[in-house]
Amino acid sequence: MVARLSFPPAALPASTETLRTDLRTFLANEIASGSFVPRCDTWLSQHDPSFSKKLGAAGFLGLAWPSEFGGHGRSQLDRFVVVEELLAHGAPIAAHWVSDRQSGPALLKHGTDEIKRELLPGMVAGEIFFSIGMSEPDAGSDLANIRSTATKVDGGWLLNGTKVWTSQAHNNHFFIVLVRTTPLGEAGSKHRGMSQFVMNLQARGVDVRPIRLLTGHHHFNEVIMTDVFVPDHYLLGSEGNGWDQCIAELAFERSGPERYLSTFPLLRALIDAVGSSPSDEAAAQLGMLVARLSALRRLCISVAVSLGNGGLPVSEAALVKDMGTRLESEIGEVARQLVPPGRDSGFDQLVGDAVLSAPGFTLRGGTNEILRGIVARELGVR
Amino acid sequence: MNAMCADEILVDMIGGLLATHCTPERIAAAEGSMDSSLWALLDKNGLAAVGVPESHGGSGGSLHDYAAIVFALGEHAAPVPLGDTMLAGRIAANAGIILPGGPLALAIARPERTTVRVPWGGIGGHIVTVSEAGVGMVAADEVPVTNRGINYPAEPWIDVDTSWVVGTATTGTPVLRQSFAEAALLRALLIAGALQRTVDLSAQYAMEREQFGKPIGKFQALQHYLAEMAGEAAAARAAADTAIDIAAVDASVDDGERTAAAAKAYAGRAVATVTRLAHQIHGAIGYTDEHRLQYSTRRLWAWRDEFGSESEWASMLGRSVAVNGGAALWSTITRWPAAL
Repeated sequence: MVARLSFPPAALPASTETLRTDLRTFLANEIASGSFVPRCDTWLSQHDPSFSKKLGAAGFLGLAWPSEFGGHGRSQLDRFVVVEELLAHGAPIAAHWVSDRQSGPALLKHGTDEIKRELLPGMVAGEIFFSIGMSEPDAGSDLANIRSTATKVDGGWLLNGTKVWTSQAHNNHFFIVLVRTTPLGEAGSKHRGMSQFVMNLQARGVDVRPIRLLTGHHHFNEVIMTDVFVPDHYLLGSEGNGWDQCIAELAFERSGPERYLSTFPLLRALIDAVGSSPSDEAAAQLGMLVARLSALRRLCISVAVSLGNGGLPVSEAALVKDMGTRLESEIGEVARQLVPPGRDSGFDQLVGDAVLSAPGFTLRGGTNEILRGIVARELGVR
Repeated sequence: MNAMCADEILVDMIGGLLATHCTPERIAAAEGSMDSSLWALLDKNGLAAVGVPESHGGSGGSLHDYAAIVFALGEHAAPVPLGDTMLAGRIAANAGIILPGGPLALAIARPERTTVRVPWGGIGGHIVTVSEAGVGMVAADEVPVTNRGINYPAEPWIDVDTSWVVGTATTGTPVLRQSFAEAALLRALLIAGALQRTVDLSAQYAMEREQFGKPIGKFQALQHYLAEMAGEAAAARAAADTAIDIAAVDASVDDGERTAAAAKAYAGRAVATVTRLAHQIHGAIGYTDEHRLQYSTRRLWAWRDEFGSESEWASMLGRSVAVNGGAALWSTITRWPAAL
């Protein structure tokens, strides 16, 4: 008998429904007041600190974090509902996105009480924002090939090296950075000798340089660290355990509803654009997109339930991301063919968002090819 | 026990029983008819009437039990009309018809068609008819057959003139819509089971077959195929499970129909991808009569066409979504799967 992936039957608890209703009301008011116009791919591209602050004040951030550090002590599935509503409504959530999704949970799991007290309340309030410091010029899919280093000095560490593809580093306050604390030759294996640090992006010795996208937009950066001092209590977890911590962080990063909802605002607009009596052909295309979206959502909920129960469904998360990111790309392709440009500038804007950001969907958070390798390993063939 | 899950003892029992009896030899021998001894065994265990209330002569059991059994039938390529019998029995019992025992087939007469294809109609037993006039039942040998034949895995069908399909109960259009959706969901569940088996067989073969001095599964191209296949199988099952959850909570006819449509559309679409890649992985041997892969893939190719193809159901779902407008889509999708 060969191995199978495991997606236990899953549904959201009824207790999440009030939260969903409250957030829908909040978002309807925000849209009505002109606070934002729904866009695609907002979790990476629409950085709006004032909107994040409003969400924080309304209690929608740090939802599953303990109240001791300002969190709301609710479940991962409550957070799932909040995130999927924000994405489906195309709200500008890039500012707090990484902090709420993975940096906060990483601090909770590995941080000292001192750093938790220092940073988590501001993250819950939507006032302190994080980026990701993983990839480097020579370490993309092969992340263990990183070269950045941290060297022990009195009272802390000195960080040196270059990180790339760091979204919003020019706008955010901190990143969690993966560096070598033991030189590669002395570590025993490639996956050892790495550690994670919280690093202030405004610290002396940090040079943040823009890497513009093909649209001309700026959210990627190169972050060059030259003797950046990081205090001892900013070491996250234990020295040398960085790789394992990083992999666990990726399970959260890969499995969320942002992996199939980036272009949902376009799908919604497409349905209105084709009208109430579409051709059989157009209806079939719409129907198939909805069928795929609904199936993926169920798989994603199943992964969220497993994560909430303390499981680590790494290959299931990889699979959802592979399938979901292909779907969100395809929504743009279907939309542009069913509704030719020039009818409605708002619609064209959404199509443009989807088409021009699509190359990133199947790359970020691990390329789909790497993800399929993870699934194949689970099936036993690799 | 969770009411939204199948009875685990039942699932293990049926899985073990089918694994024992659905050997390639038995499946091959049943082609053109059914495996009568397997049927008798399943019937003796009360499985022919799962999902039909005991008050109506059935075995009781939940819709989730029914779904788990149908998935297992698909997984094992079981050469018996058990799924159709369970569903036809439930439709007939709900219309107050006393079940006669033995296999049942479904004749669902849609108003736009002049003939109705009855899968498994060619093996005898009774036929449960559903039309705009309601639900009826008739002995198979009393039906005026206009044509007969076998589908790809040689399950015998008949065609019947729709003018002949007249119900005795007076339930009408909602029952017709609902029954057609339930029949599509039945095929979606069978497909989900057969897809999973196809993935399993392919992964197994990729680990065993060696070329260039190593198992072919060590080649990245095949690893990617298998990952894609596993994803399609999991998602097809997820879509069908959602429709079962919705049916189990007495949701609206609209949501029942939409989720069944999504299930059959997804399953039908997944068949093309999974069967193509499975045969590619298996090479020439998988394309032969002697290899067991064909018992799964021939069924998949037939079942995706029965009770509405993927494009037919996708259109239905798309029209339903379009009528309600873009703003309603998200609130519709977030009603499924039903909250616990």
